[in-house]
Amino acid sequence: MQRDCLILLRSLTYAQRGRHVLERAGITAVLRRASAELTDRGCAYGLKLRADRLRGALAALEKAGVRHGQVFLREPDGSYREVRE
Amino acid sequence: MIYLDSAATSFLKPRSVERAMSAALRHMTSPGRGGHSLAMQAAETVYRCRAEAAELFRVPEPERVVFTMNATHALNIAIRTLVQPGDPVVISGYEHNAVTRPLHALGAKLRVAKAPLFRPEAMAAEVRRLLPGAKAMVCTHVSNVFGYVLPIREIAGLCREAGVPLIVDASQSAGVLDVDFNAWHAAFIAMPGHKGLLGPQGTGLLLCGMDGTPLLQGGTGSQSRLQEMPAELPDRHEAGTHNVPGIAGLAAGIEYLLPRRNQVERREQALLGQLVTLLRRNDDLELFYDDAGQNQTGVLSLRSRTPDAETLARRLADRGVAVRAGLHCAPLAHESAGTLDTGTVRLSLSPFNTAQELEVAAGILRGVTR
Repeated sequence: MQRDCLILLRSLTYAQRGRHVLERAGITAVLRRASAELTDRGCAYGLKLRADRLRGALAALEKAGVRHGQVFLREPDGSYREVRE
Repeated sequence: MIYLDSAATSFLKPRSVERAMSAALRHMTSPGRGGHSLAMQAAETVYRCRAEAAELFRVPEPERVVFTMNATHALNIAIRTLVQPGDPVVISGYEHNAVTRPLHALGAKLRVAKAPLFRPEAMAAEVRRLLPGAKAMVCTHVSNVFGYVLPIREIAGLCREAGVPLIVDASQSAGVLDVDFNAWHAAFIAMPGHKGLLGPQGTGLLLCGMDGTPLLQGGTGSQSRLQEMPAELPDRHEAGTHNVPGIAGLAAGIEYLLPRRNQVERREQALLGQLVTLLRRNDDLELFYDDAGQNQTGVLSLRSRTPDAETLARRLADRGVAVRAGLHCAPLAHESAGTLDTGTVRLSLSPFNTAQELEVAAGILRGVTR
C-alpha cells in the first residue's frame, strides 16, 4: 500500500505557494490543516503527498525558497511519525 | 453621468469585478479559519489575487504581497516600520496626507524635495541633495493632484546609492504605469485596490521588500499558540479577517489588467491629449499640463478665472459630470505648484472613458465657466 507523508508549513500562504511549486514539479499534493498533535505552535498547514515523492518535493521546495517545517510519515495505523530529511 | 474622478476611485470597472464579489459572498468564508470547503475556496481566491499581484508588479514571492484596507493603511505600516520619532525623512513636494500625516504624528524631521511641476530632473537633483543622513525616503510615483509622474526609477537608484530605504506611494500609478518591485528595490510599495487596479473600495496592497513591524496585532489563523505576531509574511501584517469579497473583486480587476499592460497608459494618454485640446479652446481655464507630454498620467488639474474650484465642480456635478475640487488631501502638492490658495478642479480619466464623453464634458465646462 502506498504511504503518505505530510510536510508542515508555517502559514497558509506558504502552504499554497508550496503546493503550486510542487504542481509545477509534477508532484501532486493536497493542502490540509495539520492536526493539533503535529504542531507545537497551533494552527498550521501541511501538504500531503505520496511518500515516494517526498525527496523530490523537498528539493523542489528548497529550490523555490519555500521554507518548510517538520516532515511526517504516515504509519499503517494512521499515526504520524516525524522523519528527518 | 460622465465620470471623470477615477483618481479618487475607479467607478467604471470590468463586469467581472462585481461578479467575483458576488460569488465570494455566496460561496466563501475566511481563509485560514477552517479546513472546510468554504474556507478553502476563500483561501484559493486570496492566494490567486496575491500571486497575480506579484506577477503584475514583479514581486518574486507572492507572500511579499500583503493585503491592507487601503493605501493609507499600507503606508502607515511602512512608515511606522522605518521611521522613529525625530528621524530625518526625505519626501517629495507632491505627497498626499496619507504620507505627511503619519510622518507628522511621529514627529519626523521632514526634508521636502521642492521642485517645479513636471520637472523630474530638478526633483531628482533635490532628492540627491537631501538624502545623506536620512533614515528613509517616502515618495509618490504620481501626484494625485496633477498626474505628475515623478522620476521614481532615478530616485530609487539614488536611495540605493545613499543606503536610504525607500517607500513608494503607488496610489496613482498601480495599474496604469509600470510598477517594478524587482527593479526599484524599495523597502515598501503601497497602493490602493480601488483606483487603477479596478478593485472595490476597502482593498489595498503593500509590497514588502522587508519584513516590517506589524501595525495591528491579532488572529492570523496560523501559529495560534504564539502571542507575538508570526514572523512570516504575509501573516505578520494581516491580523483579523480578510476582506474576501473585496479581494475577490481586486483579483478580477488585476486579471483584467494583466493581459493589457501598457494599453491602459496609452489609452489614458490619448484621452488626456484629446481633453487638453478641447479645453484649450476655453480661454477662461488655466490647465496644469505637461506640454512635453511624458511626465503626466490621465489626471488634469485646472483653474478658472470664475467661478472658484468648488463652485465649478458643483456646477459640473449638477450637469452630470463627476470631478473633484479643492486640495485633494495634498496641500503640499498645491504648495509646490502655487495653487494652495485656490485649490484646483481635477479631471481624472479611466481607460473606460470615451472620446465622446470628453467632448460633452468640455462643452458643459465651457457653459459653466462663462
